[in-house]
Amino acid sequence: MNQGTAISFMRRLRAGLDSGLELPEAITKGAAALPHDARETVERILDRMDGDYSEDEWGFDEDFAELVEPFFAFLYESWWRVKVEGAERVPAHGRVLLTSNHAGILPWDATMISMALLREHPLPRHPRFLVLDWAFDLPWISAGIRKVGGVVASPFNALRLLEQDQLVAVFPEGVKGTGKPFSERYRLQRFGRGGFVEIALRTGAPIVPVAVVGSEEIYPKLGDIPPLARMLGAPFFPLTPTFPWLGPLGVVPLPSKWRIEFLEPIETASYGPEAADDRALVLEISERVRGEIQHALYANLVRRGPAFI
Amino acid sequence: MAGRRVLITGVGSHVGSLLAAQLERDPDVEYVAGLDTRPPKVPLDQTEFIDADIRDPQIGRLIPATGVDTIVHEQIVRQPGPGMSSRAMHDINVIGTLQLLAACERVTTLRTIVVRGSAGVYGAEPQAPQFFKEEMARLFPLRTRFQRDVAEIENYFETYSRRHDAVDCTMLRYQPAIGPGMRSQITRYLSQPVCPTFMGFDPRIQLVHIDDALEAIVAAVRNPVGGAVNVAGPGTIGLARMIRLAGKRALPIAAPLFGAVTSTGHRLGLDTQSDDFQRLLRYGRGVDTRRLTNEVGYTPHHSTVDAVEGWAGLARAAA
Repeated sequence: MNQGTAISFMRRLRAGLDSGLELPEAITKGAAALPHDARETVERILDRMDGDYSEDEWGFDEDFAELVEPFFAFLYESWWRVKVEGAERVPAHGRVLLTSNHAGILPWDATMISMALLREHPLPRHPRFLVLDWAFDLPWISAGIRKVGGVVASPFNALRLLEQDQLVAVFPEGVKGTGKPFSERYRLQRFGRGGFVEIALRTGAPIVPVAVVGSEEIYPKLGDIPPLARMLGAPFFPLTPTFPWLGPLGVVPLPSKWRIEFLEPIETASYGPEAADDRALVLEISERVRGEIQHALYANLVRRGPAFI
Repeated sequence: MAGRRVLITGVGSHVGSLLAAQLERDPDVEYVAGLDTRPPKVPLDQTEFIDADIRDPQIGRLIPATGVDTIVHEQIVRQPGPGMSSRAMHDINVIGTLQLLAACERVTTLRTIVVRGSAGVYGAEPQAPQFFKEEMARLFPLRTRFQRDVAEIENYFETYSRRHDAVDCTMLRYQPAIGPGMRSQITRYLSQPVCPTFMGFDPRIQLVHIDDALEAIVAAVRNPVGGAVNVAGPGTIGLARMIRLAGKRALPIAAPLFGAVTSTGHRLGLDTQSDDFQRLLRYGRGVDTRRLTNEVGYTPHHSTVDAVEGWAGLARAAA
């Protein structure tokens, strides 16, 4: 939007308010001066103010996700300069379990995996991702995460989403991944008890391992203050070069360079749902997925070169 | 199936009255009795009204005399209404249930018990799965008085059904009901001039339409299954969207101040929210209703969003 249209928008808005219109009507009137795209956005925001929008039973709101896309697009293109490989390996239809390494206390990596699929996949669709449950006790963050497709990290949620033939992203490292110190970056933590494999077996969903390089440099965790974390109910209280020294600015992630590689899907349907109770098989597949991601991480680290330039 | 004899406790409540009226019209039901101290909300010409307090031991004499084969337990207080202390609520819920079960021991004809319980037993938690299944009742600690009441009621019925193989005991776990004419915590909340919300939280709320609430009881009477069954409309709705659909404005209050602000509002004549309802407004709750569909054989007709839209339309027309 250039400066001229902005000014004429404000002028019409003023005129509308002066002539006694309520704010929403005045904005609609002012929007007539905007170019088509911006006008659509304004109208959509007004509809939302009347409750005229839809969310699914999980709280995912596709309209909202599209409204905030420019912000994530900026992070994707300019801030982290994400390079993607193998997006076409993600099945275009049906249930799929994306399994990725995880770092950073906010689920930025999940949002970038989303962007990668929306940008690079021939048949894009929004993945749903499992987010550490303590985020759902935080104001605004809890509401925002749900609107863009996040759900509480619970096996029951993953099962139900897969039964609904969704594309689901999980981070089996969990809090051990987000809380690892900078010196251990890209060294995968234990994959829980292999719960994600059980879920894949039970639903027959293929597992697609995903290696994300770059996310582990955005919040270099140098130290931790456990008493403060306990006080806030958070899993840990990170000390990074910018947090908490710079206050809210410390939450701004560092602009590292990213690579996301989607690996070959691992098929699970042929084992049958009962195989989910087979401990040996579950641990074996879990180790295999972990190994493949670890291998791809090292390969992509080399291909990426320096972390920030 | 034909010739059923049904007793409804709490027949003076909104749902109890409508249920009695519906069972009166049912050709398979030969006799309906209603127990309460409050008169029914709609005229009932065939229902035998038993004017007794469920906490009173004399129901142990009155109920067996009816010779019923089915008891619908509807007298569970969900929130203390005006002029009722939380102590009295606890008494009705827990002591009332105990007296009812003591009476049941003497009803030799009894085959079916259906309880209109509450999904409140799951609680409302930030770490909760989006949809509770029936076996997840003890996933989190019981935090509020009402939750402990419901858990106690459920325990009593579980113990009872373990001792009586011939009796099917269905524990229906209801999400909050909404519908025309309904006065519940949720409709009172949406009828206020402004709706207090927790700043920065937009929880998923799940409701059940009053028609589905009734039909689910009737379905359970026809086809009782042992154990707990969730009852809710399909889907969920965000609190913010629900308030907007009701044509109201949200009043966001920072979480630590919520209690103080709403109790001040109470002094100014606004509605007050129970502890359970406050947690619901902060974290929300959904339940999985597959057991209701697959085993009881009833699928609710109104989704949560439909139920809210229908109610909001009527409320606007009335205003």
